[in-house]
This record gives sequence, structure tokens and C-alpha cells, in this order.
Amino acid sequence: MRAIPLKSFASLAALGLLVTGCGQGLLGGGDSGDQAAKQDGPIVLGMLIPQSGSEAAIGPYMSNAAQLAVDEINAKGGVLGRQLQLKTADDACDAQSAAAGANKLVTEGVNVSVGGYCSGATLPTLPIFAKANIPMIIPAANSQELVDQKLKNVFLINGTGSQQATTAEKWITKQGAKSVALMHDNTSYSKDIAVRTQALLDPPGGADAVITEAVTPKESDYSANITNVLDKKPDFVYWTGYFQEGGLIARQLRQAGYKGSIMVGDGSVSPKLMEIAGAEAAEGVYATMTQTPDTLEGAEGWIEAYKKKYNAEPGPYSNQAYDAVRLAAEAITKAGGTDGAKVVSALEAIDGFSMFSGPLKFTPEHTLASGGFQILVVKGDKFILQDALK
Amino acid sequence: MTQLIWNGLFVGSFYALVALGYSMVYGIIKLLNFAHGDLYMLGAFVGFAILGAVGGVSPSMALPLLLVVLLATMVVTGLAGVALERIAYRPLRRAPRLSLLITAVGASFALEYGMRAVAGADPQVYPVRLGGTSMEFLGARLTLQQLVLMGVAVVLMIALNLLVTRTREGRAMRAIALDPRTSALMGINVNSVISRTFFVGSALAGAAGVMAGAYYGKIDFMMGFLIGLKAFTAAVIGGIGNIPGTMLGGLLLGLLESFGTYWLGGEWRDVFAFGVLILFLTVRPTGLLGERVTERV
Repeated sequence: MRAIPLKSFASLAALGLLVTGCGQGLLGGGDSGDQAAKQDGPIVLGMLIPQSGSEAAIGPYMSNAAQLAVDEINAKGGVLGRQLQLKTADDACDAQSAAAGANKLVTEGVNVSVGGYCSGATLPTLPIFAKANIPMIIPAANSQELVDQKLKNVFLINGTGSQQATTAEKWITKQGAKSVALMHDNTSYSKDIAVRTQALLDPPGGADAVITEAVTPKESDYSANITNVLDKKPDFVYWTGYFQEGGLIARQLRQAGYKGSIMVGDGSVSPKLMEIAGAEAAEGVYATMTQTPDTLEGAEGWIEAYKKKYNAEPGPYSNQAYDAVRLAAEAITKAGGTDGAKVVSALEAIDGFSMFSGPLKFTPEHTLASGGFQILVVKGDKFILQDALK
Repeated sequence: MTQLIWNGLFVGSFYALVALGYSMVYGIIKLLNFAHGDLYMLGAFVGFAILGAVGGVSPSMALPLLLVVLLATMVVTGLAGVALERIAYRPLRRAPRLSLLITAVGASFALEYGMRAVAGADPQVYPVRLGGTSMEFLGARLTLQQLVLMGVAVVLMIALNLLVTRTREGRAMRAIALDPRTSALMGINVNSVISRTFFVGSALAGAAGVMAGAYYGKIDFMMGFLIGLKAFTAAVIGGIGNIPGTMLGGLLLGLLESFGTYWLGGEWRDVFAFGVLILFLTVRPTGLLGERVTERV
């Protein structure tokens, strides 16, 4: 179906390489006239997000919040006296579009990348940004694969799958569950958490992972999967995928007469989950999640500002996207300019920068030193904090 | 076991309803209407819009109200199907079949992303939900609402079968399927019969869309894509162009998925479904009930 982009993608990639080559030459070339002109212009932040395709719903949550941060910073005079500018590109949650989008952003001269939602789509963009010496602050994508590339310019400000699995296991054990069903959607994000949680549950004693069931995303009817799961009589079900399916699964589990606990992963933490599941089925659903505006004291003002500007509630990864922009601004300020290597050093040196997920410090592999995952629970139409698992 | 059969039949009746439109259009003008799944999506959104306009309803009135909405939606999506044929397919009727196929894919994208522009990319949730408490029947758990939905599907399919086999209109459809040129010479208005075929097929898809929206709750602009492919598979299994065959194919596909998921695990559901499609296309392209090629509609 997408035969056409192949050729244009190749030429775009070639163009991208050409232009980035030029760009580096200019930056390395000292105080030429061109560069002086560049330093007066806006500092450009690039954001790759899904704007079309299966995950298109997520894009606006992230770009809106990022724009909010940009506007706030600009209203206070910008960074180093220069205005910030946000450029978005569509990754369609798909590797090919993401690579094309990344090349587009590079040719448009972005200084820092603050995007990345789908791990599978973010992965091929890493070498493109690395080659162009552009630091990446990835707000949402969190597969271990991103870290395993060991690229110096890549920073993850969302907890990783293994941190989330550890939190899930702690809560399952604390709840005294005996038999646990893990459900995932076979995407690299979701499967990662399910497999890691299963591994943690495997040792004898405590809870047992009785079944790991994979579902096909984008369907409406999961009764066949649910029949499989309920055959094993679990007393705890953990869904690690996204909210579209999560809502349906919670509802269909309850309709099938399941009485035990249901827990969802951070991709499912959205007000839409409750709407899709219906209030009755959603009540009491747990979630493993990093800190959100809802569970954070003093974030009401932020939610108000977002609502006022976009006439809509912030959604999944709004706060991470907002933080990514603020962090980029902070790092550029500390680095005293937009030179890639200097910004990377500034990011590595950051200690205690205040974000929604708590004070920030990076580990040597550029992930969050403290994962900050906690357990939320659905009460009425809201996710509220159940247990910080400190 | 009975639970598996029940799950399969319930999902299969949706597949069958959507597959009928596919099958009829293929039967009459040999076009694989890849935009057909998106008419299902359109139906879900039209129903959503009507329910939203009606406002709050008491739960006791939910079922009768939904039936009214269902009928209204069928008219709207039926007309949308007619428009689709008029705009996208009729100008190309004498063109090579490949051009028609490409137009169909284009129409599918136009409907999907048109709907995204209108309604947004976020999934929407139906204001009226058919949930209900479940009851035990021969060891399977089912709800009254499921029974009603399946009843509606069966009534629609019986009505369609009567239309095609017992009325003048149906006879004209069958005649065109057999030989459009001769039909025209015999005084049949070929264009209007094709339009009406699109109307009926699209109306059925729209009905399935509303039913899915009311039962599952979540609708989004991409919801027609997968079910379109599944409906195509169902039509091929039963015999594309053959109406009883298509209904059978829908139910069989539902059962295959249900049992396939049970035996092989959930990640194999689509592999299983589309594997069967490939198997049928290579081994028996006419489908299970497809031998009577002369009666295609």
C-alpha cells in the first residue's frame, strides 16, 4: 500500500545526509557570517510523533503540551535571548515514516529532538539524529532496545520497561495474588513489560504467571482471548498495552464474570480508558505509571493552563512532552549554545532538575536514575494515587 | 467449548453482515470494494452523531432507540455507498479492473482520513451502551443484548436473501451479474440497479457499524480497515458473490478465529484468519458454496 514513499524516502534520505553534512561543516567552521546569523534566529526543537496511523490519537497530546512549554519559555524571554520554535513531523508509529520524518527535521535545522512515542518508530531515527549531532530527549518511547544502542546523544525521560515490570511485580506480590495472567499486544513496548514481569514472577513461592496471552490490537472483540485467560482462573490480570484495547479488555473481562484484580500499564493511563470500559468495569483498575499531573501536588495550575489553551484535557505523555521541552531549554542554557556535544554534556551533568516524575538525574546509560513508577487506581472518572511503593 | 462456539458465532455474525456488501458488489460488477469496511466505520460514526444529537436517554429506552438509530444510519450509509459508486467507481467501469481496485483503496483512505478530519483521531465512546448481565446457557455465558444483536443480524440477512431471490429487483441484480450487456438490451436500467445494490450492501455495513458501536462502545476512524479485510476473507471462504455462502463464511471465520485463538494463542488469530484466506484462494477460489457460478450476486 505504501509503495510510493520508498523512492521518495531514499532520495529524501540522501538529501538529508547531504544537508546534514553541510550543517556540520558550518558548525565546525568557526565564526562564519552564516553562523552568526543562525545564532540570532530561533532555537528549533524537533518533535517526531504519530500524527497519522494507528496511534494518531497520541500525537496532539504531546505536541500541544510541548507547544505550551515553548510558549511559556518564550513569554519569559526565551533561551539565551533567543526564541524557541517547535517543529513537528509525523512518524505514523512506523519505522519508514519515522526515518523520513527525522531526515526532514534534520534538514529543517532542528537543534534538539524532543519527540519519540512508539519505540519501534523511534529506533531507526537514533542514528539519523546521532549523525547530525543532534541531542535527543525522548519523552515516551522506553524500550530497552533504545538504550542498547549506547548512543551518546540519546536520553530517555520515561522509565524503562524493566523498571515498570519491577513495580508491577512488587504490587502483585503485595496484593497477595496467587495466579497472574499477563496480556500484551505484541508491540515491542508491551511485550517487553509482560515478558519482564513474567520473569520476575517465575521463581517459586508468591504469585505465579499462569498464562501470557497476546492479543491483536485494533480489534473490538477479545472474547476469545478472554476465554483463554479465564480458563486458567487467574486472580490478577495485567494488561501492558495501550488504552484503546485496555478499555475493551477490562469491560469484556468483567462481562465474562471475572471478579479478580485488573491492572494496566502506563500506555493505558488515559481518561479514555474509563470511557471505553464504562464506569462500572473501570472502577478499581490499577495502573503502573510514572507520576502524572493528576497525582502530583501543584500540577493543577498546569492542567488549567493546558485546558485553557487547547480546550481539552491533557492526555498520555502530555507531561513528559512538556518536560522534554523544558529540559531541552535548561540544557541549552547550561551549555551556553546549541552545539550538540555541549548540550549532551549539560544533560549528563543535570542533577535535581524538577520534572513531573520527580527530580531528574540520568544514569550512565542515559535513563532515569529513579524510575518513579507508582500504582494508580481508578476511582470514579479519575486515576488517583494508590501506592507510591516507596 | 460451548463458550468458544458462542464467541465465534457472535463475532462471525458481524463479519457476515459486512461481508454481504462485499460479496454483492463483487457479484454484480466484479469489483473488490476495499472501501466497504470504511462504510462500516462510517455507520458507527453516523449512529454516534445521531445518538449525540438525541441527547440523554433512560436505559430502559436504549434498545428501541438504538433500533431507530440503526434504521436511520442504514439510510445514510446506504446513500453514502451510492455516492461512492457514482463518484469513484462508475466513471471507471470500462477501465481495467486494476484501476478500479486502486480507486477503491483510494476511496478507503479518503473515508478514513476524512472521518479523522471531521471527528478527530481520538477514539469516541457511544453514549448508549449495550452491556447487560450475562446468563448461563449450555455452559456458555451470553447476554440478552448479544442475542438481540444476532437476531437483528439474522433478520437483515433473511430480508436480503428474500430481496435477491424473490423480487423483480433481485432478478435484475442476478441478470446483471450474469451479463450486464444483455440485461441492458432486455430493458433493465443497469446503472440504477447497481446503485441500489450499493445502497443495500452499504446499509448492511452501516447497520453492523452501529451494532458494534453500541455493543463494544469504542469507535475510531481506523476501525473499518481490519474488519474490511476480515469480511473479504469471510466472503472468499463462503464463496464471493454467493449470498448464503457469504453468511456461512462469516460465521465460519468467527468460529475459526475463536478456536484458532484457543489452540494456538491470541497472537495467531490474524495469522490463522488470513492463512485460511490464502489457503482458499489457492485451493478453492470459488469458496465453499461457490460452485454455482451462474447465480452470482
